[in-house]
Amino acid sequence: MTGAILFHELTARQRIAALADAGSFTELLPPPERLTSPYLAQLGIPVSFDDGLVIGHARIGGKKIYLAAQVGQFVGGAVGEIHGAKLTGLFKAAARDKVPCVLVIESGGVRLHEGSSGEIAIAETMRAIFECRALKVPTIAVIATDIGAFGGIGILSTCCDFRIMTEHGRLGISGPIVIEKWMGKKAYDSANRALVWKTSGGKTKYLLGDADALVHDTADAVRDGISKFLGKSSAVSLTSVKSRQKELEKRLKKFGATSDPNAVWKSMGVRDIEAASLASGPEFAALAKRGK
Amino acid sequence: MKKPTPKKPSARAVLARLFGASAKDIAIEKSVLTGYAAVDGKKVCVIGTCDGTYIDNGAALHLAAHVIQCIERAPKTPIVMLVDSAGQEPNRVAEMLGLASYFGHLLACLELARRKGHKLITVATGQAVGGAFLCYGMFADRIYALDSASVGLMPIAAMSAVTKIPAAVLEKLSKTMPSLEFGAAPFALLGGVEEVWSASDDLPAKLAAAIAASSTEDNRAELGKKRGGRKLALDIRKKVLAESAR
Repeated sequence: MTGAILFHELTARQRIAALADAGSFTELLPPPERLTSPYLAQLGIPVSFDDGLVIGHARIGGKKIYLAAQVGQFVGGAVGEIHGAKLTGLFKAAARDKVPCVLVIESGGVRLHEGSSGEIAIAETMRAIFECRALKVPTIAVIATDIGAFGGIGILSTCCDFRIMTEHGRLGISGPIVIEKWMGKKAYDSANRALVWKTSGGKTKYLLGDADALVHDTADAVRDGISKFLGKSSAVSLTSVKSRQKELEKRLKKFGATSDPNAVWKSMGVRDIEAASLASGPEFAALAKRGK
Repeated sequence: MKKPTPKKPSARAVLARLFGASAKDIAIEKSVLTGYAAVDGKKVCVIGTCDGTYIDNGAALHLAAHVIQCIERAPKTPIVMLVDSAGQEPNRVAEMLGLASYFGHLLACLELARRKGHKLITVATGQAVGGAFLCYGMFADRIYALDSASVGLMPIAAMSAVTKIPAAVLEKLSKTMPSLEFGAAPFALLGGVEEVWSASDDLPAKLAAAIAASSTEDNRAELGKKRGGRKLALDIRKKVLAESAR
């Protein structure tokens, strides 16, 4: 049904419908409950009946999951008090019921119009995510749009067991416009899309190991990616944090003085930059692996 | 009349106030604090930032390494986290190398410490804003702040610059919505800070009591509702838990 439309072009509810087994999604705190932000109302900014986050439970391949999708069109998917509390609640429900939790991210981080409440909600959700992980309940972040995962939500995504990205998705903390303002256009031209995507896009994140899968920009491919991780979890152990420490130290030592993302690609095994730039996500992953 | 902002003491002065003579063993390297000190005669591990520095990939690794060392060499020793950082510096190379993942790694190390029985106590001593507060300080079991600390998402002027909402409007709204106000006291109203400590407090005693009273149960939503600063979060969360249990 949505096969022809790219995943990043779908709305949050369409994404959920396309990922879940047909008819299996039940929304929690759905729009008829009219939970709207008092902050936005006071500021005279339009509100949304779901506060920019769709949550509920569904099945993927017959397996029950908790599923959330952020609405990027509504204040950039940013996290306000209600949005954040829905997110914390969902991960807490996942921990309670030992049901995997999948978050389809599309958020620039904290909703500035609501101040510190959203920031605290992100911190609370991080705690809830790690509660899941301690119980070996899989937590999976999907990052597939140019709004991507930034600010506090970028950090939050790295707390999940697994990150599935598409080449279209971006993951980071500071976005290109903020960095351009800070460092100057010479250091970072936010209009240079190739550079922007090579800095924060799915391909680079996958190469460096921050994304665990790089899939096609279709709902089918994202669902397949999710299915592969549903039975797995990534334990936080002394062994795992020590090996990650070494890996991140190595990365910083190797690339800390590199400003050219092509050099990073090359040293990670990509030989033909041009071809790799044009390749689809999975093709790119194969090219890098084979050193082409 | 506007209350004067309390004067910001130096990093060493803050350490001495919190840990007395035992603060001497805490190393300060590029505004990153690591080491061990004593609270009420008992050993604590200290990690943190000072001078309002930026936390970059290297700083995150430096802090994480000390947490790992503490888990290995000083089992169950409480970890005191001091926060005085302006956040992450917007930097393209840092982003390219995955700064978010470096922060995520620091959080994972702290989570491991918590699971292994280390109490985690944060004291916001200076700037505690944005990503810098999220990447370790706000992950503690219990969070405290000095009244001289600048705690919150961002000051109203910065919020106004980004959202294009006039500062006067935000200023006025912040009187009834503490979430919009910047500072340790409004942040405490939201439940984000357990207690604000003042210059006249006996800080070592406060810290000892904080460690003793610490719990791994996240109580911030409850506090925020009780104190009236964050009225919706707890009820919405409970609603999700109730509806999902049906």
